[in-house]
Amino acid sequence: MFFANPQSLTDFVKSPKNDAKIARRLWVCGGPGCLAAGSAALLTALENAAKAAGLSEKPELRTDMTGCLGLCERGPLVGVEPEGHLYEKVVPADAEELIERTLKKGELIERLVNDPKNPGRQEHPFYKPQTSLIMRRMGRIRPDSLEDYLSADGYKALALALGELSPEEVSRRVEASGLRGRGGGGFPAGLKWSSCRLAPGEIKYVIANGDEGDPGAFMNRSLMEGDPFAVVEGLTLGAYAVGARSGFIYVRHEYPLSVERLERAIAQAEKCGLLGRNILGSGFDFHLETVEGGGAFVCGESTALMASIEGREGQPRVKYVRSVERGLWDCPTLLQNVESWANVPLIVEKGPDWFASLGAKNNSGTKVFSLVGQVRRSGLAEMPLGSPIRVLVQDVGGGARPGRTIKAVQTGGPSGGCLPLSELDLPLDFDHLPAAGAIMGSGGLIVMDDLSCMVDVARYFTNFLKGESCGKCAPCREGLGLILRILEGLCRGQGHPGDGQELQSLGRSLSLTALCGLGQSAANPLLSTLRYFAEEYQEHEEGFCRSGRCQGLFHPAIDPDVCTGCGACAKACPSSVISGGKKEPHVVDLDGCISCGACLAACRFGAAKAVRKK
Amino acid sequence: MTKQQFIHVDADATVKPMPQTSDLVSGTIDGREVAVPWGTTLLEAAASIGTVIPTLCHHPALPPDGNCRLCLVEVDSRLAASCLFPLRRSGFSVSTESPKVFEARAFVLKLLLSRAPNDEYLKELAVKYEAAPDPRLGDLADGCVRCGRCVRACQATGTEAISLVGRSQERQVTGPFFEPPAQCVGCLACAKVCPTGYIVFSEERTSRSIWGRDFEMVLCPICGEPVGSLQELARAGAAEELCPACRRRAMASALVSGPGLSL
Ligand SMILES: Cc1cc2nc3c(=O)[nH]c(=O)nc-3n(C[C@H](O)[C@H](O)[C@H](O)COP(=O)(O)O)c2cc1C
Ligand code: SF4
Ligand code: FES
Repeated sequence: MFFANPQSLTDFVKSPKNDAKIARRLWVCGGPGCLAAGSAALLTALENAAKAAGLSEKPELRTDMTGCLGLCERGPLVGVEPEGHLYEKVVPADAEELIERTLKKGELIERLVNDPKNPGRQEHPFYKPQTSLIMRRMGRIRPDSLEDYLSADGYKALALALGELSPEEVSRRVEASGLRGRGGGGFPAGLKWSSCRLAPGEIKYVIANGDEGDPGAFMNRSLMEGDPFAVVEGLTLGAYAVGARSGFIYVRHEYPLSVERLERAIAQAEKCGLLGRNILGSGFDFHLETVEGGGAFVCGESTALMASIEGREGQPRVKYVRSVERGLWDCPTLLQNVESWANVPLIVEKGPDWFASLGAKNNSGTKVFSLVGQVRRSGLAEMPLGSPIRVLVQDVGGGARPGRTIKAVQTGGPSGGCLPLSELDLPLDFDHLPAAGAIMGSGGLIVMDDLSCMVDVARYFTNFLKGESCGKCAPCREGLGLILRILEGLCRGQGHPGDGQELQSLGRSLSLTALCGLGQSAANPLLSTLRYFAEEYQEHEEGFCRSGRCQGLFHPAIDPDVCTGCGACAKACPSSVISGGKKEPHVVDLDGCISCGACLAACRFGAAKAVRKK
Repeated sequence: MTKQQFIHVDADATVKPMPQTSDLVSGTIDGREVAVPWGTTLLEAAASIGTVIPTLCHHPALPPDGNCRLCLVEVDSRLAASCLFPLRRSGFSVSTESPKVFEARAFVLKLLLSRAPNDEYLKELAVKYEAAPDPRLGDLADGCVRCGRCVRACQATGTEAISLVGRSQERQVTGPFFEPPAQCVGCLACAKVCPTGYIVFSEERTSRSIWGRDFEMVLCPICGEPVGSLQELARAGAAEELCPACRRRAMASALVSGPGLSL
């Protein structure tokens, strides 16, 4: 397979291929969540069962691994093609049945689907509100197969660009699409593209930021591992547009599989004339390589990332000249997040107007969110920008867990903000979130219920960020230390009147003075919780935690009108001070209670509550 | 042990960035008109009209780093580190003492003071900006403000014996692996640029110690005064060296007695 010109690529896609004969296929999810839940072993079991059933000779019935299907909480997942059914929590013991009934005969195994009446992935409440652009090839291709990528519209955009479009036109399409950076800031991509294209300089670079440092986030990882060619193609288009001949994909240190998949994609693309010298016979050269990250959260920050690629310590630099003018090795550099890059082929192929028609005003396209925390269904969900938070939390995520109520939603990763229930109708986009004191960040969304203490949440994120502060500038290095000390005091019951106010002023000053984005945004968790949950700060100053989270700052009390006498709290109590007859309201003997909050978490009916200590 | 005091380097030692064009850019600093060559830093532009902006990590002979944040000023209603901010467009409007700047400096000083509470320069500024160290920060007062001037000085000499290692509040200046740095030549450049006198050294006629290393001094063959450490002179490519005073004298007499020079 070698493509000497754009036409040969188009011809190849049109030519009949073996895959066209595939009658049915089981797609085992190879996303991070399902892999952790044992999907690799499941695939082996399925392959063995298929062999045992004599199917290895039948290329029309297949079992393969694909990228992340999204509903991680219910993994390992298996998608059925062409029926579109989605099996949840599949274990190796199910393998034989899957082969015999589903793969061979196309039967539905009812116990493995969410709703036997609506067994399809499309009707599943988790998927229904979603729009799949970035994730559209998950469940349709094998991530390391260039042929699969080609058959799923891959490299259409590059063939079009190199065959018919000038670099200016490619850049113009991205500008007109309104694409905004998916790595956090939401900076208009087109501005960067045109400035970089016009910046004087013989040597230019393009970089993909795949550092993904937010704890719990894995949308970039899923993309790099599930559809690596999309990132490669995006970068190739970017290089063509701005006139770069080399590029780097900076991948988080902890993602060896991402590196492997990307490198295999790069090697295949090079072999087939889609990367390297004289791409598709157009005379355009582009060399791409991966770089393993420096292993620190701050390495995802653009100047630190470039320092790291240059072989220096991954530390931010003060820059008043933009990277598109002077970036990597002081050359004009176009840096975008991997998800931003993966949007590019779509924009170039389908046109800026089509892209801008998705999403909301000034916020075109979709965003992949990682939905985690106290919801019924967690995982990766791709939504049009501008969707209300409520849709993601209630419809996709299924709302609060039994007996609990949702208190807050934290968006944007560790330096994001916490929004209260009253802000749940806020559109998820790059303009509304910052206005409300939160950020889009890389798309992390943590749902918190009534057992989450907002002062403790601020303490938790501040502690994370303090540990990740590179220590270069004084405000972030020492300021986060001071803020953390005060927050820790509050959570231990050693707060003072006025602490909240003091924190407010420290947080504001930190945002004003820090050198890089880490320090400038590090006060967001603090400032947003102060803004929306001021009463919890005041209560902590007085030594009370209403959420029953800060040990010693409350007494548990069981509401006899709500208690069903299920006994779950008594079982959970480590001090065995809860008693009550079967189906009778239970009571806590405060003598001996260590106020750990275990009963509050155990109660499925919300009968156990935190009250002020007497 | 001698403690080195804060050394003020003359303004004429300033290393100016090469302007990319010879154009002048103009604007106002605290309401006063100023015109400077394209690319001049805000700090230099302010100095050119006699406006003093407090600095700490900045040293005119070293590459700027912008880490202490003391020199923040308000440029078109945003804060920027004046030691690094290049003036590249006319029409700028800078305020070096706005309420926002005041707040920023008070905050930064509070934090810096927790590291070096006895530093006279910081104490003086703290009075002006009404800042006091916060006891809740705990005892951090080791005297080092982590400005990295020492490290930059060491780099500038090409030695790179010391560096800043560690993240967050663990960040500190040290030799590799927290050992006395093997690369150190005992030139004292680090101690001379340290704003707080944190870097201690001792010096006698025939020996010097710094960073836990001892150095033998080379003595001037004429007057016998110490010239520098053995390794320091080796770094400069000189085995033997006259002391500055004797060198001046020798040069003067060479000039006077040299050929072709008539006074
Ligand atoms: C502390 C810090 C961490 C960051 N981490 C990431 C990251 O992991 N991935 C990323 O794409 N951008 C990250 N960013 C944002 C980058 O600096 C940069 O803005 C982004 O990669 C640009 O690409 P985009 O415009 O496509 O979003 C981080 C920024 C800061 C301040
Ligand atoms: S803000 Fe924090 S992470 Fe950024 S340069 Fe300053 S110390 Fe380093
Ligand atoms: S003097 Fe400018 S930041 Fe330190």
